[in-house]
Amino acid sequence: MPTDIVLQVLQVLCVLLLSPLLQGFILRVEERVQRSSGPSVVQPYRDLWKLLHKQLVIPESASWIFFCAPAVAFTAMLTVPILIPVLTDRPLPLSNMADILGGGLVLTLGSFAILLAGLDSGSPFGGIGSSRSVMLSILAEPTLILVLAGISLLAKAMLPFVVNHLLLQDISVYWSPAHLFLVLAFFALLLVETDRLPIHSSTHLEIYMIDEARILEYSGPLLAVLKWASMMKQFILYTIFCNVLTLPWGMSQIGGWFGQFGSVLALLLKFGLVALAVVVVETVQSRLRFFRYQEPLAAGFLFAVLAIVSNQLI
Amino acid sequence: MFLTTLNPLQASIFSLLAIVSLVLAFVMLGSHWLQNYVFAFAAQSWLIACLSASVAFFGHYPELYAVAVLTALFRGLVLPYLLLGIVKKLNVKREIHTILQPSSSLVIGAIAVMFAFVVANHMNRDTSTAGRVVVLALTIMISMKLLGYLMLAVRDEAISQILGLLVLENGIFLGSQILVPGMPTLIEIVILFDLLVVVACFGVLVRFLLVHVGSTSSRQMNRLVG
Repeated sequence: MPTDIVLQVLQVLCVLLLSPLLQGFILRVEERVQRSSGPSVVQPYRDLWKLLHKQLVIPESASWIFFCAPAVAFTAMLTVPILIPVLTDRPLPLSNMADILGGGLVLTLGSFAILLAGLDSGSPFGGIGSSRSVMLSILAEPTLILVLAGISLLAKAMLPFVVNHLLLQDISVYWSPAHLFLVLAFFALLLVETDRLPIHSSTHLEIYMIDEARILEYSGPLLAVLKWASMMKQFILYTIFCNVLTLPWGMSQIGGWFGQFGSVLALLLKFGLVALAVVVVETVQSRLRFFRYQEPLAAGFLFAVLAIVSNQLI
Repeated sequence: MFLTTLNPLQASIFSLLAIVSLVLAFVMLGSHWLQNYVFAFAAQSWLIACLSASVAFFGHYPELYAVAVLTALFRGLVLPYLLLGIVKKLNVKREIHTILQPSSSLVIGAIAVMFAFVVANHMNRDTSTAGRVVVLALTIMISMKLLGYLMLAVRDEAISQILGLLVLENGIFLGSQILVPGMPTLIEIVILFDLLVVVACFGVLVRFLLVHVGSTSSRQMNRLVG
């Protein structure tokens, strides 16, 4: 039992400490593909360190929401790793505290807090960013709910561990159209939710900003916390995509120290593969204009519907 | 019949390949750009080649490997290459004067799939894994044929009409691979060469039309010319 608790703490620490590395890796590879040298892989760590040591500037119009939002967002991202299989695929003491839907709720709570913070200070960019991201989440939410419904129909359970076990045991479920269409649908969601093209711009200009516009008013340590939270969100979504849906292999089964170390290595390898796929999309795809935002999400929605239909048929 | 000894893994692989090729038929139906049609057709042909190869592997039909290679070579490479050549000569990049908008033709396509499912479900009373794969294969075969007819009916560029014909034929080929994999190899090879002849003839016809009429759209050709 005590080792299980240590494991759970390790899962959270893994997400906390490795998330800037994932961000750094993606940025670096993207630049390398465009034949420039790019920032170092550890640059996000340096950025966070720098921001944590800067002075805090607070807008005059800010209320208590402005201070609460980063804490809420950061805490939400620290809560989700307890619920999902990061290092081990055994259920840990608190991992059945909430199912997949509950994890989704906590993730959404984090972005909701940032949304309120964007509106709070009354600056025009915060309002624009909040309204844009609300529109995106209105478009993305049906797909997310359908993907979750598809997963629970597939595994007859709402716990991510059960889905992982099912895919490991039964190779025919892994190759069934229901599962692979869910993977495609979730990949579309992954691109949208982790601020990637074709919807989010890779250049940091105010007119293209969606998620960043919400936090333009922040500075210093609070900005560092918010940036860290968004990197952790990316890491968590990658974890769900890899460990629950796409690559259920390479996770510690018994929970020994050697197994933990191996699963961290496997995690880095798997994330590297997914990050490369994301980089390919970012390189070949140009940013969509505002009125075509629904297209990738509609494709994801279509795949989720197809997955559920084929799950009922086959 | 090898479908009676189907295990769950084979059933998933067959249904996956079949459903993805149906999705690609919808990609063709929902796009304006002629180049996208050709790419979707090529991808579909590669999937059907994979299907032939997996039927050959799981059902022990060694001659189907040859069919798979020929399918990938002719339908997946030669036909798309010839079609892209025609598209380049035509100077028409997209269907502009469609009778139906892509979105409404997608809806009609979805209705066609439902109709195909009802028909296929009536033909089969077996509820085992094999029975469900048969229903799926029949559904996809009939719906790809209907989608091919739909493309022939609502599009007026010569090139999209060839592609409608090819989709129709791909549907029949896909269904026959799953339902009657023991079909004589000779017939399948004859079909492949048939297609090659069809595309070559269309190529000649398109050039003729371009020189003498100046257009390949069937809308422009509604008068009898002596």
